[in-house]
Amino acid sequence: MFAALEFPPIDNLVKWPAYFGEGQFYEFNKIALISLLAVIIPTILFLMAKRDLVPSGVQNLVEGTVEFVEKQVILSAIGPQGLKYTPLLLSIFLFVFFGNIFEVIPTFHMPANARMANPVVLAVVAWVTFIGVGIKSQGFGGFMKSSLFPPGVPKALMPLVSLIEFISTFLLRPFGLAVRLFANMLAGHILLVTFGVLCITLWQVGPLAAILPFSFAMLVGLTGFEVMVSLIQAFVFSLLTAVYISLSMSAHH
Amino acid sequence: MLGIILAVEATEQSNPILPTVPELFWGALSFAALYLLVTFVLLPPVKKTMNDRADRIRADLDAADAARASAGSAAGEVHDQLADVRAEAGSVVDAARAEAEAERAQIIGAAEAEVATLRADADAEIQAARTEALAGVRPQVAELAANAAGRVIGRDLDVTTTQSVVDRFLDSPN
Amino acid sequence: MSALASTAAQLVELATEATDATATAADAKATAGASSAGFAYGLAAIGPGIGIGYLVGQAVQAMARQPEAAGQVQTTMFLGIAFTEALALIGFVVFILLKFA
Repeated sequence: MFAALEFPPIDNLVKWPAYFGEGQFYEFNKIALISLLAVIIPTILFLMAKRDLVPSGVQNLVEGTVEFVEKQVILSAIGPQGLKYTPLLLSIFLFVFFGNIFEVIPTFHMPANARMANPVVLAVVAWVTFIGVGIKSQGFGGFMKSSLFPPGVPKALMPLVSLIEFISTFLLRPFGLAVRLFANMLAGHILLVTFGVLCITLWQVGPLAAILPFSFAMLVGLTGFEVMVSLIQAFVFSLLTAVYISLSMSAHH
Repeated sequence: MLGIILAVEATEQSNPILPTVPELFWGALSFAALYLLVTFVLLPPVKKTMNDRADRIRADLDAADAARASAGSAAGEVHDQLADVRAEAGSVVDAARAEAEAERAQIIGAAEAEVATLRADADAEIQAARTEALAGVRPQVAELAANAAGRVIGRDLDVTTTQSVVDRFLDSPN
Repeated sequence: MSALASTAAQLVELATEATDATATAADAKATAGASSAGFAYGLAAIGPGIGIGYLVGQAVQAMARQPEAAGQVQTTMFLGIAFTEALALIGFVVFILLKFA
């Protein structure tokens, strides 16, 4: 019966038409608009926050966010010496979260991170940061030695282990960061679109049909779930960046 | 209605995973802007407020600790003073009790002494009255005895002789 | 009740129309790609599914035993989930590539 629902091609789900500058490198579409909003909204919130001794309203929200990043991300992954990375990790957290949350905001209905561009940018930032921190705190040789030649490995196995370590540290880490965020948000987006298309098609058949098969209840439930996923993905992205920074700060294994 | 959640149809089928250059450009620009804003404009005042609050709370806590310590020492002082006062009161009471005891002993002694002298006086008086009474009774007893004896033997007896006999009789222990 | 009946009738009509359309537009290559995509994602989801279930179960046990360490356990749990989940997500990306690219 539901074969009647024609699922739209994937490009209809994730590719958005240009608002201006089509074909140019500055082509401005919905993804770019969300990226800009992910800058503008935190800026407005932070500027709205008052400087009271007893926080309330927006100030509470802003300080709660800063404290969450400091306590849950930095102190638990790096320790007190990682507090100097608060601006970077807070920016990553905010950018990922506001890029995600537009998935459930009406008229947008699209997470910016369901396109590969923003995750790639953030992963490159994390990659450059943890390599930079490693070189700065251990020196280039020390960093390479500690990340490529783990101690306690038999000499004969060393080339293989080094190759695996190189791939996992310098290639899989940024790749994993980007793909984790991208695939999570794309999967959530496809889920929401699936149930959205289902609901709309059934609504066109008749209002009763939209409510009867619980597709609308699923849509509402999944929307709440995606809000949670947006938050968790922002948390996980900044937490993983912090973990990589902390692994670079001291020789591990 | 589907237009709300679906983008307008794309011109050609392309890889849905590879990032496009414009989106990379805008993403990088946006993140750079957000990072610079957070680092130099947005975070410092918030951090300053939070640190001020932490300092304020720490100062308040320190003040409370100091107040508690001073209150504790004052309480100790009061306690010491109380102990002193209590000891002093005890010694005063002890002294008073000892004094009262001594006075009582003295009063009792005086009373006993008076009682003893009174009793001695009374004894002496009784003795004197008895002696006097005996001395008064003796001649009459002698006379009565002489009369009785004369009646018995039929003639008058010399009173003086009788007297000496009576005296001897009376003086002998009963 | 009549509304329900007419709705059902319309649904049946819609379904019959659609089966005709899909039958005529059947494309062997797309079908093969779609089914292998389904297999790829299904297989990729098995291991991480078991792994995340085990991981969260152990984390809940740890939190129940030591509620005061719950925050630390939770952070570590999210890290573990993130690493385990990556495999399933790579499977999902392969699914997208096979199905749409």
